[in-house]
Order: sequence, then C-alpha cells, then structure tokens
Amino acid sequence: MLVSEIDMITPSSLSECLAFLAQTNKKHKLLAGGTDATVRMKEGNWRPEVWVNIKNLKELRYIEEKEGCIHIGPLTTHTDIVRSPLLQKKADVLVEASREVGATQMQNMGTIGGNIGTASPAGDTIPALYVLGAILEISSLDTKRLVPIEQFFTGPGRTVLRVNEMITNILIQPQVPNEIGIFQKLGPRKAQSISIVNVAISLRMIEGRHCQGGKIAFGAVGPTIIRAKKCESLLSQGPLTEDLIQNIAKIAWKEVMPITDVRATATYRRDMASALLERGLYRLIRRWENR
Amino acid sequence: MTDNQTNPESFKWVGKRVKRIDGPEKVTGELKYMTDYHFDNMVWGKVLQSEYPHAKINHIDTEEAKKLPGVICVLTHKDIPGFNGFGIVVPDQPVLCSKVVRCTGDAVALVAAETLEIAEQALSLIKVDYEPLEVVADAELAMTPSAPRLHPDGNIHSQVIIKNGDTEKAFQEADIIVENTFYSPRQMHAFIETEGGWGVMDEEGFITIRCPGQYAYRDRMQIARSLAYNPERIRVISSPIGGAFGGKDEITVQIYLALLAMHTNGRPVKIHYSREESVIAGIKRHPFKVQMKTAAKSDGTLLANEVRAVGDTGAYASLGGAVIALAIEHSCGPYKIPNVDLEGFCVYTNNGIAGAFRGFGVNQVCMGIETHMDMIAEKLGVDPIELRKKNVYHQGEVSSVGHVVKSSVGTFKTLETAENCDLWRNREKYKTEVSEPWKKRGVSLATSFHGIGMGIGLPDYGAASIELLQDGKFLVGVGCEEIGGGNSTVYAQVAAEILNCDISNIHVVQGDTSRTLDGGTVTASRSTYTGGRAVATAAPNMVKLLTQTAAEMLNLPASKVTINTNYISAEGKKLTYQSIYQYLFDNRKTTRVEGHFYLPKEKEGIEGSGGAPHHLYGYLTHVVMVEVDTLTGETDVLRVVSIPDAGKVMNPQGLEGQTEGGAVMGIGYTLFEDILIEDGYHKTRNFTDYIIPTIRETPLIETFPVEEAEATGPFGAKGIGEVVMIPIIAAIMSAIHDATGARIYHLPATPERVFNALKSLKNKKTQSAR
Ligand SMILES: Cc1cc2nc3c(=O)[nH]c(=O)nc-3n(C[C@H](O)[C@H](O)[C@H](O)COP(=O)(O)OP(=O)(O)OC[C@H]3O[C@@H](n4cnc5c(N)ncnc54)[C@H](O)[C@@H]3O)c2cc1C
Repeated sequence: MLVSEIDMITPSSLSECLAFLAQTNKKHKLLAGGTDATVRMKEGNWRPEVWVNIKNLKELRYIEEKEGCIHIGPLTTHTDIVRSPLLQKKADVLVEASREVGATQMQNMGTIGGNIGTASPAGDTIPALYVLGAILEISSLDTKRLVPIEQFFTGPGRTVLRVNEMITNILIQPQVPNEIGIFQKLGPRKAQSISIVNVAISLRMIEGRHCQGGKIAFGAVGPTIIRAKKCESLLSQGPLTEDLIQNIAKIAWKEVMPITDVRATATYRRDMASALLERGLYRLIRRWENR
Repeated sequence: MTDNQTNPESFKWVGKRVKRIDGPEKVTGELKYMTDYHFDNMVWGKVLQSEYPHAKINHIDTEEAKKLPGVICVLTHKDIPGFNGFGIVVPDQPVLCSKVVRCTGDAVALVAAETLEIAEQALSLIKVDYEPLEVVADAELAMTPSAPRLHPDGNIHSQVIIKNGDTEKAFQEADIIVENTFYSPRQMHAFIETEGGWGVMDEEGFITIRCPGQYAYRDRMQIARSLAYNPERIRVISSPIGGAFGGKDEITVQIYLALLAMHTNGRPVKIHYSREESVIAGIKRHPFKVQMKTAAKSDGTLLANEVRAVGDTGAYASLGGAVIALAIEHSCGPYKIPNVDLEGFCVYTNNGIAGAFRGFGVNQVCMGIETHMDMIAEKLGVDPIELRKKNVYHQGEVSSVGHVVKSSVGTFKTLETAENCDLWRNREKYKTEVSEPWKKRGVSLATSFHGIGMGIGLPDYGAASIELLQDGKFLVGVGCEEIGGGNSTVYAQVAAEILNCDISNIHVVQGDTSRTLDGGTVTASRSTYTGGRAVATAAPNMVKLLTQTAAEMLNLPASKVTINTNYISAEGKKLTYQSIYQYLFDNRKTTRVEGHFYLPKEKEGIEGSGGAPHHLYGYLTHVVMVEVDTLTGETDVLRVVSIPDAGKVMNPQGLEGQTEGGAVMGIGYTLFEDILIEDGYHKTRNFTDYIIPTIRETPLIETFPVEEAEATGPFGAKGIGEVVMIPIIAAIMSAIHDATGARIYHLPATPERVFNALKSLKNKKTQSAR
C-alpha cells in the first residue's frame, strides 16, 4: 500500500464513527494524535486502506469524576492529563507517567487512547493504569463491554479489540486519602526516549512508614506490563525502612522476564527493575514523610 | 596591516559581541535551506542503496523500473561519462557500483521520477543479482592475512608512525607506568539537514548544483571528473548549510544530482535523504581502538608514551588517512614527552564509511592520554593540574612529536584559569551537595589541543573578494561556507572594522563557485583564521581603491583623503560610497578587489607521520561536574567550564556558540551516541535509537577565554571550532571516576556501561574483603 493510496475519513460524531467501523469492509485503523501512527506508516508497518481520523471527536476528550469513578476519554492528551487538577489529586501516578511521554510536542498531540492502542510493552501510561485498576470501555455500534486493563493486552502490539471496536472510556479508581503513587522511568536520556524499564507504584499508607498494601507494575520487561505481586505482598510486612525497601526491590528482578535489544541487555533490564523500584519506593516514602 | 589592526582599544567590531548577521532569518525559520526549495517542474531523485554490506554484483536489471509510469530515468554505472569514483584523497568510492558493493551505504543505481513515491517504487523494481561475500566486521580482524581483501592494496589503507627517543629504555627507568585500551564510538554528525540538494542543466548544457558542502571548488572538481565535463561549465552553490560538522566535507549527493540532471530534459532534480538513508550512506566518526602505555618519573615528569591506534574507516578512505595521522600527531596531548613510539592504522571494513568529523581523530586519542594523566596524578598523589602544568610545552619548546612549537601556546594559561575557577576551587563543597543518598558527584578536568589548517603536504591558502555595490554597500565574498558556526559574522566584522563602516553595510556571500574565490575548505578549525585573514588582506585593497578614486574625483592627492565612518572626506568635501561607485561604473573601472595569502607552514615534516606537524594549534581546558546515579548508572553533566585559547576572540558571542555547542556534542559523544553496526548492517537506523543530548541534558556552561594572540592571524585570531568538543570527553570520564571510583574505557558511557563498571567494582571490593 502506498501512502498516497491510503484514504482518510473524518467522522463528525462517535456514532458516525462506530457506524463506519460496523459497515466498512476495508482494512482500517483509527488515527488519534497520530504520533505512533505516522511513524509506523512512514516505516511501512501501518498501511491500512483507510485511516479513521478521530482526533476531532471532542466527545471523547474529557476527564471527570462520576459516581466514585474517574472517567477519562481516550482522546485526552497527555498535556490534558498533566494539567488536570482532578488527576493531580486523585491519580498522581498517571500524571507523572504522562509527563514522561516524549516531550512537550508529543504530550500535546499524543492521547492516552493512542498509548493504550499501540500496546507497546514500553508504553508509559500503561503501568500507571495498571496500578490505578483501570477498566476500559470498549464499544462497537451495538455492543459495549468493560475490560480490565490487565486483560486487554494479549502481547506486544496486540489487544483484545475487534476490528469494529474502539476504546470509548477509561475508568479508574480515584485514589483515597493516604493513597500515593509514583512513576519511575529509565530511558537512554531524560526526554524523548523509549523506556528501557519503567515502573508505576501505588501505596496505601497507614501511619509513619506503615503501609497497608499497594500495587507495582513494570513496563518494558516482558511481553506486556507485569504486576510484581511478590513485591506487593511484602509491602505490608513492616515499616518501609530503607532496609525493607532494598529487600523488596531485590525481589523485583525475579518477577520480570526482559529481553535483550539495541537499547539494553536483559541482565541490565533485570537489575534496573530492582533499581527503579528501590528509587521509587524511597522517593515515595520521602514524599509521604514531607507531605 | 592597517592601523586599526594593531590597536585593539579602537576596535568597533572586532572582539565585540556582534549579533549574528544570519541570525534573525535562521531563528525565525525564514531562511530557506537548499533542500527546502520546491519548483513547479521539478522531479525527484532517489538512490538505490546496496542490499548487502559486501557482495559481488552479477547483474543489474533496470527494465521493470524504467517501464513504471512516471519514471524519467534509471541510471547505473554504465551511464557515468567520466571516472566512476570519488574521494577527497583517494577516489576509491564508486559513484555507482559496478562489480562489487562494500557497504550498505554503497549506491548501485539512480532514479528520477515525477514523485518521490514513484521514485521509491522504481527503486524496488530494480533487480540486482548479488552474490554475498564474507563480511569484514572488525578493524583488527581486517588487518589479519586471512581477512577478505576489500581493496586491491589490502585492508590497511594507511599507516603512520612517529618515533622519538628510546621508549624501551624509558619504560625500564620509569617509576610509574599506566597501560590501557580505549574504545570509542561511531558518532554521527546528526545535522538537522540531511544530505540533499538540487541539480539542473540548462539548454546550453551548463550545470548548476545546489548542495550543501564544505568546499564548493573541490566538489566541482569531483563532479567534473565523474562527468568528464569542463568544470567551468558547472556551478556549485554550497552555502547555507543546515549543519555539517565535517559530514559534508566529502561528496554527498552532488555527483548523483549532476548525473540525473543530464537526463531530465532541463528539469531540476532534487534528492533529499531520509534520516534512515542518511544514517546508512553518510560518513561517520571513526571508531578507534587505542592502546596506550605511558610512563612517568616519581616527580611527575612524563617519560614515555607508546600508542597503537586502529581506526575503522569502513568501506572507503575518504579522509580516513588524514584522520589517523592527526590522531597520532595529537596522541601525546599538549605535553613534552621525550620518548614516544606512536603508530596508527586506518583500516577498511564493511562498516559503512567513516571520514571527517569535528575533532578529526583527536577526540579518540585525547581520552587516552588525559585518562592516563589523571591515573598518574592519582597514583603519585599530586594535583592533576600541577601534573599537567609540569609537562605542557610552551611556545618555543619541543613537543612530544619532536618539533619546536613556534606559534602561540595557551595551555598553561588555560590550566591556571581552570585552577582559579569557582567550580574547581569549590569542588569539594559542590561534590557534597547531592540530592539523594545514592547519587555521587565528581569534578574533573582535561586539556587538549587541535591543529589549525592543513598539515604538511597539502597546499593551504585563503582568498576573499570585496565589491563596492551600487547602493554604497560592500559585498564580501569568501569561499568558506557558513555551516552554522558563524564565520559569516566574523567576515563582516573584519570588513566593517577595516573599511570603517557599519556592519549593516556589509553583505557576505559564501560557497558559490560563480561568486566567490577558491579559498579552501571550511574544515580543520580554519575558517575564522583563513577567511578572516583573507578579508583582512582584501579590505586594505578596497580602502586603497576608495581613497584613490576619491582623490581622482576631487582632484586632490590621495594623502588628503580620509575614510570616515560610512563616508569619505577630503578638505571639507564629502563623498558617499554611492557616488564613488557611480564614478567607477561610469569610467568602466573595477569595483572589486581581491585578497590572497598562504597559510604559514612548518618547513620540516615528520617522516612517516602523514602530515605532522601543524604550524598552528588551538588549546582548551574543560572542567566538568557530573552526578552519577549509582542505582541506574545514569550520568548527568551538571556544570561545564570551557577555557579556550582561541588567540584573539573575534566575537565573544560566536565563541560561546562554539564552546556551548561543542560541550554538548562532547557530552553526546561521551554518554549517549553510537551508530551500532553488526556484521555490516546498521542496528541504529534513526533518531529513535541514536540518542543526542536534548536541552535537558544541557548543563550550565561557562566560557573563560584566555587570549594568546597569534601574530599571523587576523587581529591575532586562531581557530577553535573543533577543540571545543574534545577535552570534555576525558573530563567526563574522569569525573565519573572521581564520583564513583569506576573507570570507563569504552564509550559511550551509557547507563548500562557505568552500572556494570560499578557492579564489578563492588564485586572486586567484596572479594578483596573476604
Ligand atoms: C518522538 C516520540 C517520542 C515518544 N515518546 C514516548 C514516550 O516517552 N512514552 C510513550 O509511552 N510513548 C511515546 N511515544 C509514542 C506515542 O507518542 C504515544 O504512544 C501516544 O500516546 C500515542 O497517542 P496518539 O494519539 O498519537 O496515537 P495514534 O498514533 O493516533 O494511534 C496509536 C494507536 O492507537 C490506536 N487508537 C487510537 N485511539 C484509539 C481508541 N480510542 N480506541 C482504540 N484504538 C485507538 C490507533 O489505531 C493506533 O493503532 C513517542 C512517540 C514519538 C514520535
């Protein structure tokens, strides 16, 4: 498929979009901010017969709290997330993750729906969505289903989405008081870089350094995001002293299964899973104590 | 030299913070680079790159491609009218390969088509029957007898040797010896504007090539040789340039453009490499393996240095021989070491192509000698600045390569300035100010130097023209291109100073064989020195022309005429430059003057050195502070102090542009950048994985020039364009050691490499504790 042969349609409403997805028999792909799509099109990897340009579907760009749940529209940009007072207060880990996506230009154009849609094991917002217990609303013209994010990805670049479906809402649990989160990323440089390893952490603190429990999710160390359940189970084993933090962090390398590529070796990635967890827990506790 | 040139107090332009004359249109994006242009009747050119790093070509079939609608022409080696090769020193690189390909950057065919997409499609329809050959992937292996021979004379393109004294004896007598092997990366120039340009042939067969380059006249000769064409019938416009750094010194696409232009019926043809094409075809910095052994006495006096450097030049020579020669000339640092045994090899492999790049081989050896200086200082327990001060050569002394250095030498002063700068004086305090417990800071310094101009054996000259224009302004023409370094502003400053006019009255034209004289390359840190001096040579001729014409117009002796700011007067009468122009024009007299000169050279070369010594060198010391995250191995450069000896500083703002840009490029080299090639294939394909520093990796950079005026330079200037990125490499490596105790010998010092060094340091410690 040549780039010049690809069509593009721009539906003016969600229902029009879903109707198109339902009736078309052309190979198609959604186009949101296009920051992944254009790169892959250029490389020759993504060449559908038609791009379905959803960037203008304002109705899919929102952040709101309703009935104890935060709703984020898939067309919400990373910049929207970074600037949202609601998310800053009740989903700090997601705000931090969005702040680490590329740099300003990417954050202005790139959307959270696109970050999920690309399904990269290194996608930065995804570990944050894991620890916030995100649930995706997936719609087709006549169905709607809710899929927990941990069930959404089937492998690198692969998801449970069917050809006539799209993500229409992202639901997350707002953080309760004493719930704090952090996102740590290691890339080859500070901005505009693909994660070598990343980790999202969310803790429910009780008092002092005592923690009731929490969630830890690693990116770029497996075919999909990986929850570090062994580490999580130790969070409540005693006050999170520097010693305990180090011990929990050491376990992390057992929970990940990275590969070697141009960016890093598997061994280093393993070591970094531990390093980022240690750094993250330390910083999080410091923040908690200085709150 | 006029009066103005000797009395710095009275300078109006030279040495002042003059804003770049090309600044506004560049920062607003108004300037069109040559690859930005589009024409209505244009066609697109495309280059078919080789599929294999090393293969025999059995057959090339272009029939299918030619049949594709929209294709205008498909060219192969058979369509080259002249010599099928290019290369600045040895033209060993085929324009279009005929029998064999030696790297994936080799060009096999050219296409011109109505659209870029059709051209791309046409490439995929060209059938090349290859027979893959064994790949030479490593320079050391390439030198062994069993390696396949890539060129008729074998895989060693050149070998240089410098020997002085008796190293064997010196090593026996030494109190301390350090010996290490250093590996350096294949850095990419990473200019914003990838290789590209335009070619067009008019009805009379006159060819115009607009293509960013670093020496329009030489590009023209190389084009003419391949086309078997009268060079006077070719015009090359090579400026402005969206960055070059040495990467556009060699021919890039000029010959392709010219060949295609001969087959497009007068329609302009454009080639503009994608980043991926540029990564593969563009030249890179030579990766080096440097083995070094350095000896000193217990009082810190350097006794001997033994160096063996192997540079991977890839498939073709380009300037590889000269790069290795310059590396060896600089491999002992700006020190006087009496016993040296230095040897360098420039070796062919199938790893792309390496050639000129800012620093030109000195970067790779500086990291060796400067690391050794620090190791010796550490072992002897002496201050690293004291050790260096003790060993540097001064003007009039004999360098390590054995020649008396007659030009100005600023190393000692730069070291004194380093010693007194805030970062060095208060380093212990700064080092304690870490933000988190696992972070460690280190402060270190390194010093280096870099030859200015061509070495022995290469003619080196400068030329400039100045023309009085109808509107009374002046057009200064210099061959050296504006590659972004700011030389156009220097030329305008020199002209304005000597012509005693406002800088807005000076226009500068550069890099155009129809409008500028041949004045050599914009490389070798030479363009401020050479071009500046050429303008300073031409300007007095213009002063003379103006004075004599005014005298003639006013019927007075020339001695009565004075040049005031922006006008001429004599005995109370005023003359504008417009009226002088008019007078010259009406009387059919020339309004243009020229200035020519030879660069000073050493009289005696060093045998076997391939061009050493240089007559002039620029010197520089860097002090840096880094912070290492010991959990991850990430290194953050927090502060840089750059102390150049540039001779007289022509424009402090321009100098800072160079010291800051150079520091950032040096940071990139040391910490991030490398084009990875495996078995001849590029693993790094574009900026996704070629990591250059961003503004977030850019530290505070201070510049404290010491001005050791160079008597032969324009107003005392030397050159600084390359050395600004060199010592920082060793300084960062050393600062990582100062911070953590771990040494890195293999660049770039990626987080993973630093982490592994820390890990093995820890293992060693626990082992010795057992
Ligand atoms: C220079 C650069 C730097 C980058 N840095 C980072 C980084 O640091 N971290 C990181 O995680 N990513 C990074 N990215 C990748 C990219 O910017 C992000 O993944 C971004 O969030 C993608 O959003 P988008 O709207 O541009 O997606 P698009 O490119 O428009 O789409 C991406 C995919 O998602 C699908 N999609 C989009 N919306 C929906 C929907 N509502 N329902 C179902 N499928 C959908 C599309 O069909 C497509 O397959 C970078 C990209 C570039 C070019």
